[in-house]
Amino acid sequence: MKTIIPLIIVFACGFYMLITFFIPARFAQASSQTLQNWYLGVIAFFVFIGIFNLIRINVDKIQRRLRDWQYSFILLFFLGVMLGAGFIGGRDSRIFLYFFENFQVPLGATMFSLLAFFVASASFRAFRAKTPEATLLLIAAVVVMIGRIPIGYLIWHGFPDLVEWIMQVPNTAAKRGILFGIDLGLISMALRVLLGIERSYMGGARE
Amino acid sequence: MNLIERLSKLDRRIIFLLVALAVIIPMLVPLNLPVDITKPVKNVYQKIESLPEGSVVLISTDYDPGSEAELYPATEAVIEHCFHKNLKIYMMGLWPAGSELGNVALNQIAQIYNKKYGEDYINVGYRPGGAIMLLSLGRNFADVIKVDYQGVPIDSFPLGKKVKSAKDLGLVMTFSAGDPGILHWIIYFHARYGIPICGATTAIMAPQQYAYLSSGQLVGLLGGLKGAAEYETLVNKKGRGLRGMDAQSIVHLLLVGFIVLGNVILVYQRRKK
Amino acid sequence: MFLLLFIINIYAIDLRAFDTPNDDGSGITINWQTYQNYQTFAIYRSTEPSGIFEKIGEVEGSENRFLDTNIKTGQEYYYKLNARQDTLIDSSRVVGPIKSQVQYFNTARLPMAICIIILFAAILFYISQAKKRGRLFIRKIPALNAVEEAIGRATEMGKPVLYVPGIMDIDDPQTIASMSILSRVAEKTAEYGTPLYVPTSRSMAMTMAQQVVKEAATRVGRPDWYNIDNIRYITDDQFAYVSAVDGIMVREKPATNLYLGTFYAESLILAETGHSTGAIQIAGTAMPDQLPFFVAACDYTLLGEELYAASAYLSQEPVQLGSLKGQDLGKLIFIGVIIIGVLCQIFSYQFFINLFNTIE
Repeated sequence: MKTIIPLIIVFACGFYMLITFFIPARFAQASSQTLQNWYLGVIAFFVFIGIFNLIRINVDKIQRRLRDWQYSFILLFFLGVMLGAGFIGGRDSRIFLYFFENFQVPLGATMFSLLAFFVASASFRAFRAKTPEATLLLIAAVVVMIGRIPIGYLIWHGFPDLVEWIMQVPNTAAKRGILFGIDLGLISMALRVLLGIERSYMGGARE
Repeated sequence: MNLIERLSKLDRRIIFLLVALAVIIPMLVPLNLPVDITKPVKNVYQKIESLPEGSVVLISTDYDPGSEAELYPATEAVIEHCFHKNLKIYMMGLWPAGSELGNVALNQIAQIYNKKYGEDYINVGYRPGGAIMLLSLGRNFADVIKVDYQGVPIDSFPLGKKVKSAKDLGLVMTFSAGDPGILHWIIYFHARYGIPICGATTAIMAPQQYAYLSSGQLVGLLGGLKGAAEYETLVNKKGRGLRGMDAQSIVHLLLVGFIVLGNVILVYQRRKK
Repeated sequence: MFLLLFIINIYAIDLRAFDTPNDDGSGITINWQTYQNYQTFAIYRSTEPSGIFEKIGEVEGSENRFLDTNIKTGQEYYYKLNARQDTLIDSSRVVGPIKSQVQYFNTARLPMAICIIILFAAILFYISQAKKRGRLFIRKIPALNAVEEAIGRATEMGKPVLYVPGIMDIDDPQTIASMSILSRVAEKTAEYGTPLYVPTSRSMAMTMAQQVVKEAATRVGRPDWYNIDNIRYITDDQFAYVSAVDGIMVREKPATNLYLGTFYAESLILAETGHSTGAIQIAGTAMPDQLPFFVAACDYTLLGEELYAASAYLSQEPVQLGSLKGQDLGKLIFIGVIIIGVLCQIFSYQFFINLFNTIE
């Protein structure tokens, strides 16, 4: 019973949404819109569950003085500051914007820029011409990397055009092949989920 | 142990240090390398040029501080171009932090061009819900957007009154760092309502967009910081995009160097075996 | 002479009005063609052909279409158009009666409906075949075969397993696929008594993961193994989440890292950090842009559709495997459609191509 009711909801809502996609009449569109609005409502509610979980785990860590509990304290402190600033002054308040612009923006950018370093170490370690296919891939990668920068243009004016060709023809062809496979896989999985054949995502893998 | 063997055990912190130097030095000593203009970037420029005066461009800032370095320069350049052409800007964001970043750029540039809020530009802020929201937006704009980002009723602004359905938009320009983003605009907005879409994405996401460029579902594309630098060249604005190009050039060369070195080590190790 | 010019001007505007196709009966579309330029067009409407026409809208001279949505479904209407160029005003003839009707099927989406029906039928056919015949052949997926081995390794080393279900919510099919794999992974780790960490980037994904892991532990008779604190919400912010997960890797040094779900720029940041801690890494995503990074930095990678097939593969249930075979038939049909499309494009045969136009 515990899995049957959710399965019925999935089946009914899923197929209903699919059918209303083909029916322009108002009752169909309005009801599918209502279902979508409910989902938005559920998302909003779950924000609280997430924050509650975060607070519970970190408060517990501080109380039990577990390893690195100081970080939990910092996290909870700033969570409080940002929530407070948002509630009191709105998202345009000076304190909210101050923390956003001076903490969140640079910290996010720092994590993102780690990519440059990791791309370098990964390319040194993993980008090796072990097979003919890998060699071909490697040559294409080097051409694209040089062709995408001003120096490439200075070396040979044809570089950017060659890069555009690589991006538009072989790259697009391969990507489309992968995408078609992915989309079909998606449809097949969606049908398994709708029909209740695939149910392990709700916990009940086997009866 | 000879040099190649030593290099094969290179500490990755040395690689990181070299990358850091390759970024910092060109920033301190600019090389001012010229930037070539690629077709996808030219397409964005020409699309905006071709819009009649007074057309509405929907700008969606679908990124966050993490990709600010790549996408903010492009956001600035495109906003400048739109205001320069006397186009109206309707801004929104599918990511909460993106809407804040977009707002900063919009207000700064609007001041330079003496543009009036509500008349020449408007910001309706962060719109949650991703794909589902976009589907509703295309179907009925007025149902989804009732207030601007400060909670003021949208109908109290001339521009808010003007945009009542997706058909009232001349172009959608999305600045996208992931999901929800450019793909959703293409799938849920262009594919169903036919509104032309242009995009600016992080360099990592750019290759995937070529499938949509060649099918015409995407009119033009600014890929990564290079795309922003090209656009800055087209609109005659020397911004962060162009300044970043020197560093990017050197880092790319360094990466090519690492790849070559890695393969030299591979050949050496194979021979030894 | 004046009269002649007047008549020409009347016919200079060719006005048409019709019930907007494929809508809910709330619109009448009016479009027109002119043989000279005008500054504005004013649209007038009446319920009688010779009654009083009221102005319902005005559009720029560059437009040639107006959608009248302020109507009563089923009511008959008549339309006319006044085109203005400076002080000169030209009128069209009156068109009508037109009435709008509710539509119950969007004919523009018929080709899409046919595609879905064919695909569903193919999948259902093979599912029923699989039920009758039992086992079906499915090619080996090395990454999935390696999962059990990797969990075993973590157990031997006495270290935890880290499972990252992507950074999207449960409305993303990749997250659903990931949860199905998590269910199998949780069964194995619970059986071996190995700790399993699942940090999530969305609170709904957290709730789902908790449920999946708890049920898996109960299924293998180890409910005591389940620790709710190991499956926790971190933050929705992409890079803040990545830094937290990297922190877990560096501090806890899990022996096995599994990245299965939707990933963006964080893919390489996670995989390189995991590599530096010496973990065995298995990744899987349907994000084509991120696949190269995972392939470069992980030991095994599930490529695109393999992620969706993973649950069926791991379960080895004939019914689930049957759906994969149906999917292959769908692929064959798509290839056929693409070839026909290419030929039609070459020979300028637009009818077939227009069938796939989705714009409303």
